[in-house]
Amino acid sequence: MQVDHVVCAFCGCVCDDISVTVEGDRITKAKNACVLGKSWFLSHGTPSDLPVARIEGKPVSLDRGIEEAARCLANARYPLIYGLSSTSCEAQRKAVALAEVLGGCIDCCTSVCHGPSGMALQGVGEPTCTLGEVKNRADLIIYWGSNPAESHPRHMARYAVTPKGMFVPDGRKGRTVVLIDVRRTPSARAADIFLQIKPGKDFEVLWALQALANGQKPDEISIENTGLTYEQLTGLADRMMHCKFGVIFVGQGLTQTRGKHFNTSAVFLLVRALNRHVKFALIPMRGHGNVTGIDNVLAWQTGYPFGVNFSLGYPRFNPGEYTVVDLLSRGEADAALVVAADPISSLPGKAARRLAEIPLVSLDTHDSETTRSARIAFTTSTAGIHAEGTVYRMDNIPIHLRKVMDSSYPSDEEVLDRLLAGVKELKAC
Amino acid sequence: MTVLTLKSQLQAPLEAGVIVPDRFAGNSVAAVAGMPVTYGNEAACLGDFFKVAGAGSTEIVLEGDLGRVKNIAAGMTRGKITVHGDAGMHLGSEMRGGVINVYGNVGDWAGSEMKGGKIHIHGNAGHGLGGAYRGSRRGMNRGMIIVEGNAGNEAGAVMRRGLIVVAGNAGDFAGAFMIAGTLMVFGKLGIRAGAGLLRGTLVTFNQPELLPTFCYDCSYSPSFLKLILRDLRLQGLSISEEYITGCYRRYSGDFNRLGKGEILVYDQR
Repeated sequence: MQVDHVVCAFCGCVCDDISVTVEGDRITKAKNACVLGKSWFLSHGTPSDLPVARIEGKPVSLDRGIEEAARCLANARYPLIYGLSSTSCEAQRKAVALAEVLGGCIDCCTSVCHGPSGMALQGVGEPTCTLGEVKNRADLIIYWGSNPAESHPRHMARYAVTPKGMFVPDGRKGRTVVLIDVRRTPSARAADIFLQIKPGKDFEVLWALQALANGQKPDEISIENTGLTYEQLTGLADRMMHCKFGVIFVGQGLTQTRGKHFNTSAVFLLVRALNRHVKFALIPMRGHGNVTGIDNVLAWQTGYPFGVNFSLGYPRFNPGEYTVVDLLSRGEADAALVVAADPISSLPGKAARRLAEIPLVSLDTHDSETTRSARIAFTTSTAGIHAEGTVYRMDNIPIHLRKVMDSSYPSDEEVLDRLLAGVKELKAC
Repeated sequence: MTVLTLKSQLQAPLEAGVIVPDRFAGNSVAAVAGMPVTYGNEAACLGDFFKVAGAGSTEIVLEGDLGRVKNIAAGMTRGKITVHGDAGMHLGSEMRGGVINVYGNVGDWAGSEMKGGKIHIHGNAGHGLGGAYRGSRRGMNRGMIIVEGNAGNEAGAVMRRGLIVVAGNAGDFAGAFMIAGTLMVFGKLGIRAGAGLLRGTLVTFNQPELLPTFCYDCSYSPSFLKLILRDLRLQGLSISEEYITGCYRRYSGDFNRLGKGEILVYDQR
């Protein structure tokens, strides 16, 4: 059976033109999907032999797992809910409700990827646009600190570089592509211009470009340490100030290197300065399929996009205080619920070690270091394959997920809803 | 004088914004011990965690490792608080008057958005010293902070008025987006100091790596600096006579913004 117009929820591109072939109880083909998307459909569309719930690695019923997990979280003094970047908005809403009832902290993968972009947005504002506008209007594309050829393989072909647009009828020929990074990545092959800057010098280059856009002359000696020549810098600034519609795609090369939110503030301020000359915008290159969704869900429910604390009964936001790495490294969180993420593999050592020490509840579609370390692990179905739902594309456009096949596992939303009911009962609220 | 002694090591953050002279003054020992705090996500009383000696007064002494006690002296307007040990986050945030002395290290956001008074930290300070909370337009606005050790990143960020003195080193983005005020660092400055400086003064005694949007003006001996340095001697800091009589190179910036700020670098020649 072939199902058309299926949405791939693996990365922030959220491509919605995939044709999936289902044979029996598995997915055998995913036409139009990139290498990452194909792998996602085929691996998640294969039957799993994992039990629906495990306590200390031993299979138990879903009811027993829910009961134990609810008790574990309700007894905690400073519980943490983390992850949520690869699940549906419907499940994310339940997680926010659970955090409120628990009086805990809720944080998402944003805090270790584009959280600094959110902080810059709050500080200086975000001049942005949709990927549709990029496709139809942009004639200057700049990837800064991102490697779309490997991280978002269809980004260039579907949205930013090769497609023909309303005001870019020649497609690739009508666009100039610039890649700025600290090393030559496979994305450089698709770029017209590759500028290699020294590691940790992004802020200085962005600051100098802003000075040029403001009509100032930056100090030439300071520029020498950035890895670019003064001519390269003025050439780039000139190109930026004389395009029709320019876009900067901001990657983690900016958000997770020294300077973090100041780096992204510098991009936002540069784009603001460029808008005095031409139309310019920026879009953060969001990684996971629905990491933009959890920002949106948290923001509409609590007012803040990540790192939210409910210990006083109302939401408070303070990156550095209520964010996952800080809470775990300082040894404050005493129980955790991880949904659709593998922080034990990805967080810094000290934080990951703390997470492995405390009572941990995990929800995931497959086995990972985190599920193996979890005291209670639930296996759930995949949103976008086994369940419907909503995800947000990297440009904050909501897209509805289609169900392709049935699953014997419950969805994240269902497990979280039952956990919420269990915790409410224990807390008598 | 009220003396609070921590009974045992805390496992979770204790939000104790009630530890301010304004709240303590005129209260009995029992009333002080009954003041509300939040331990993790549970409501509790101050007396559950501290042994209280002496009726509530405007002079408070805290003893023990208070590294997990948040909001000590937040919003205080008068009196004196002395901490013998480490203090947690938000010490003296939004305070308007009075004096805080800490004989230990303090957590992040000490003196954030303070509007008066004095904080003297004898150990190290965390990030965001005298800075602003996310989304706020202004950081410290009047008052004085002295740190005898090192300070973390973003010391004096978006500061509006007042004086911050760091005897040790400061982290990255010291005085970033500062609106006005004075930040003095005797040790080394981290990278990108004064980024987005609107007005205000950064004083340093080691040549920092400057952003491309600062330019050299002149070398001179500013009178106001002599006054501040002599005053700091009275506060107990050891200030070399050469710093008082010496010359400073003035760099103005940040030209991506107003450009009326200055970075003064002690000229060792």
